[in-house]
Amino acid sequence: MNVDFLGLEFPIYYVMILLPAIAGLLGFLINRLRSEFNLLGFFLTLWFAIKLFIKTRTEVLSFNIATFAGIDFTFYVDSLSGFIILFSALFGFLIWFYSLRAMSKTPRERVYHLYIALTLSATNGVLLTGNLIFLLIFWNVLVFTLYGILLVGKKDSSFAARKAVTIIGVSDYILMLGIVILLIKTGNINFPVEQKLLLNDPWYITSYLFILVGAIAKAGAMPLHTWIPEAAKAVPAGTMAYIPASLDKLLGIYFLVRISYFFFDIAGSMPVRIILMIIGSVTIVAAVGMAMIQKEAMRLLSFHAVSQVGYMVLGIGTGIPIGIAGGLFHMINHAIYKACLFLSAGSVEYRARTTNLDNLGGLGTKMPVTLFTFLISALAISGVPPLNGFFSKWMVYQGIVEFGSESNLWPIFLVAATFGSILTLASFLKITYSLFLGERPKPLNKVREARFEMVVPSLILALLCIIFGVFAYQIPLKNLIYPALPFRIVETGIWLPMLATILIIVGIIIGLIIFLFGTAVKPRRSRVFVGGEVLEEEAARMTGPNFYSSVYSLDMLKKTYDFGEGGAFDFFNYLNGVASGFAVMFKDVINRLIVAIYEYIGKLIRVFGQLTSFLHTGELYTYVGWIILGGIIILMLLVL
Amino acid sequence: MAIRGEEMIGFDFFLDRFGIFLSVIFGFIGLMSLVYSLATVKEKGHKLEYYLMLLLIVGSGIGVALSYNLLLIFIFWEISTFAIWRTVGYYRKDEDLRAATITFLINFAAAAVMLIGLVVLYMENGTFNFFEIKNFNNLAAILIMIGILAKSVIIPIHIWLMPAYKAVPSAIGGCLVGVAENIGVILFLRLFTTGSYFSPDFFTTVAWLAIASSLLGGGAALLSNNLRNLLAFSTISQIGFILLGFAVAGTYGIVGGMLYILAHALAKSGLFYGVGVIEDSTGRNDLKAVSGMLKESPTLGVSMAFLAGSIVGFFPMIGFFSKLWVIIGAVEKTAYLGVGAMIAAVFTLLYNVRFYHELFFGERLAKVKRPSYTALAVILILALVSLLLGIFFYYPVNYLTVNGGF
Repeated sequence: MNVDFLGLEFPIYYVMILLPAIAGLLGFLINRLRSEFNLLGFFLTLWFAIKLFIKTRTEVLSFNIATFAGIDFTFYVDSLSGFIILFSALFGFLIWFYSLRAMSKTPRERVYHLYIALTLSATNGVLLTGNLIFLLIFWNVLVFTLYGILLVGKKDSSFAARKAVTIIGVSDYILMLGIVILLIKTGNINFPVEQKLLLNDPWYITSYLFILVGAIAKAGAMPLHTWIPEAAKAVPAGTMAYIPASLDKLLGIYFLVRISYFFFDIAGSMPVRIILMIIGSVTIVAAVGMAMIQKEAMRLLSFHAVSQVGYMVLGIGTGIPIGIAGGLFHMINHAIYKACLFLSAGSVEYRARTTNLDNLGGLGTKMPVTLFTFLISALAISGVPPLNGFFSKWMVYQGIVEFGSESNLWPIFLVAATFGSILTLASFLKITYSLFLGERPKPLNKVREARFEMVVPSLILALLCIIFGVFAYQIPLKNLIYPALPFRIVETGIWLPMLATILIIVGIIIGLIIFLFGTAVKPRRSRVFVGGEVLEEEAARMTGPNFYSSVYSLDMLKKTYDFGEGGAFDFFNYLNGVASGFAVMFKDVINRLIVAIYEYIGKLIRVFGQLTSFLHTGELYTYVGWIILGGIIILMLLVL
Repeated sequence: MAIRGEEMIGFDFFLDRFGIFLSVIFGFIGLMSLVYSLATVKEKGHKLEYYLMLLLIVGSGIGVALSYNLLLIFIFWEISTFAIWRTVGYYRKDEDLRAATITFLINFAAAAVMLIGLVVLYMENGTFNFFEIKNFNNLAAILIMIGILAKSVIIPIHIWLMPAYKAVPSAIGGCLVGVAENIGVILFLRLFTTGSYFSPDFFTTVAWLAIASSLLGGGAALLSNNLRNLLAFSTISQIGFILLGFAVAGTYGIVGGMLYILAHALAKSGLFYGVGVIEDSTGRNDLKAVSGMLKESPTLGVSMAFLAGSIVGFFPMIGFFSKLWVIIGAVEKTAYLGVGAMIAAVFTLLYNVRFYHELFFGERLAKVKRPSYTALAVILILALVSLLLGIFFYYPVNYLTVNGGF
């Protein structure tokens, strides 16, 4: 598939990869025309992504650039990568548009936009390649762009960047080793494979597990997630919405599905499936538990960005078609609503200048559109019907139940998934209340609705949440998810989103009627007294973060939470600790030992020198004696 | 067995793809070192000697890369040792002279042992031409290996590097790491890997030794606070990767090793100059004493990020391909070697991230003079060359892969 430009034809793959990068670089170099170049770049990328998407509904594209050094540098696009490319281009466009205003007049705006563009290029590269080594190249570019974009922070974000580059870098090495083992053991790392590899050889299992580490580290599942909450403290909302919330999820889960069901076939290997499902369940519960007690909006959202990966991994790990489809659908849904949540919270931050939940509240009347987008996406992430999050979770649940016919462990996973869902709802009640409802602190009285450029992307994403939920069968599943997977999907549970929507709308209308004509509409307002003194309004304010302080104060949980906040479950700390331990052994034991041996040899030579120096007495007679002795020995040798 | 002079040694040079590749690298590194020296080496007294020694290091490196006579290689080898000795002691302080003595003694002793090995080979084959050497014995291989280990700072003969790096002028340090330390592994490639020596045990042992060296260097670099020490341990670690590539000896391994020489020479000499610039402008070279340099000199910060990225092996840098190719080669031999190399690579990542962050972020601690523009330009050029070679990786990789490099 080619793109015409000035009478020349370029393969669309080159265009998709180079266009954002070139637009970003030009915008970086010519600052005055930055928005124009970027608009052109992101819009055209989206346009070509749509064309590519339509093309991949009916056919599979592949294109070989070159084969050298035994590696095929090949592009390959099928219906799976086709729809993910569409969404990555969409997110690139929306978040660029959002950042246009949100980042304007910040000191490192120029670099930020460059990295947004480069990240999109590399993402397209990963999604378009049909060879694992080729994929690894683009995967590595993402480390560089991630590092760069994390360094553009609201405040000093260098620690977050260090953490991210360490964790992602290490998992990339492991991924690289997995791919190399696969290359050596099978000799074929091109998509599509003719015969899927069954996990029956120990080297195949090793290779799969190594590649799995790379995929879930990118997606942000536990225990390789810790840079995401760290970054949330220091980087702008646009970055959070762009990388950990949407693109990383798309890439990681895409790669997980690609490797698990297109390359290997993990459905036949129960231990691997159980490993995946355990990773998924632990991620769901532990991350959402951490989210409950957060007092900072971005950090709370970032823990949810980790927690939701659990559902995707859980669904994909079931090995049941409906569960896998659910995991994939949840990936798209999550990218949509989580990006929307971050962007809406970013709008609040843009106006209120803080994200600390203690200092926020009552912004609903000042920022109604943001309230709407935030509420819709919060309901979606909590799995409230008829929004999209409910639907994909429902599919994952079906997958787990069906998995029950093969293993007795399914109730654990089901309980973890539903429990996580409940806690998600609980923590979103808290954050929605803290941001938009309740009493408004005095400093926020001048807050207005966010700018047009910031509201529009959130609104589009919120509408997508509704559309993907209400018309789940007709639009996303039929066009995106089902064609992408290589097996026939059988629905077991029946859920009619249209009917449910109508019922829910009827319910809401009835509720509104009762609300409007009932007596509860006018609450009585009075001042608060304590012991005859009038209490300040600020002190009487009920803030959101206190909703679950009772959970935090439970004795055993409190210890766990303190551990968690203190970094006891942080892979980064463990990695550094273990590495330093070995380093001490290498440097202070082995290296010192080697140096000591050399010093010992040096001493021996010195002693030898001192011994020989005794022979040099300086007396003439001794030397003459030596000369005569030597002469005799030489003579004897010559004679004999 | 008659010794006929004209057969032992002559004007025995040959050109192959590897030789040309290495000569270009060495020449480029030498040029960069020269430019950097012009900007930074201010000593009046014996400057003439300095430039002579710089040229001798580069020339002897090219000589080793291009000659096929073992005795001629040995002569270049000793010229290189001599030049290193003179340049390490260049500043003539007491500890510099001590470092120079250590350097010379260890290198010279190991080279003497190597000479015995070469003579044993000559006795067996009647020639020093390494294309015609057919009869190896293990004794000769081990003796020659000792010389190679000392020159290319593989454990256990690596200890001269730390004092040497502490004493050497930073301008010549780039040349040392980019040229002089590679000639050991080049001899290994010429004599053992592409020669007719066949002993799987020997190659396996060398491969594991290389990994042990990488691990030890990487671990020690993670703990070093002195920047010069850190560079020395990092060099030990990286040359371990090069030797690993040559010791596993597949096409991937050899090409990976050659690419690694390229990537490492560019990146590490750039880092050495960067450390030199930091020393010149702050007067310190301790990680705990210098921080927040990014605000002082963004050019230096960005260039050193690219150079460290190349050492770590992130994609847009050529370092990615060298590491990937070496790991493919190692896994081709056995996957356990690949796991070892991967762990060594993790150490590389950790120490690079650590020193970069401690140096460039955080509170500004040291007082800073403005660094010289020429020096910064040299570092920037090295970073850009690493970047461009990484993006257009087709050219170096394909150049080395066609016909296996010969």
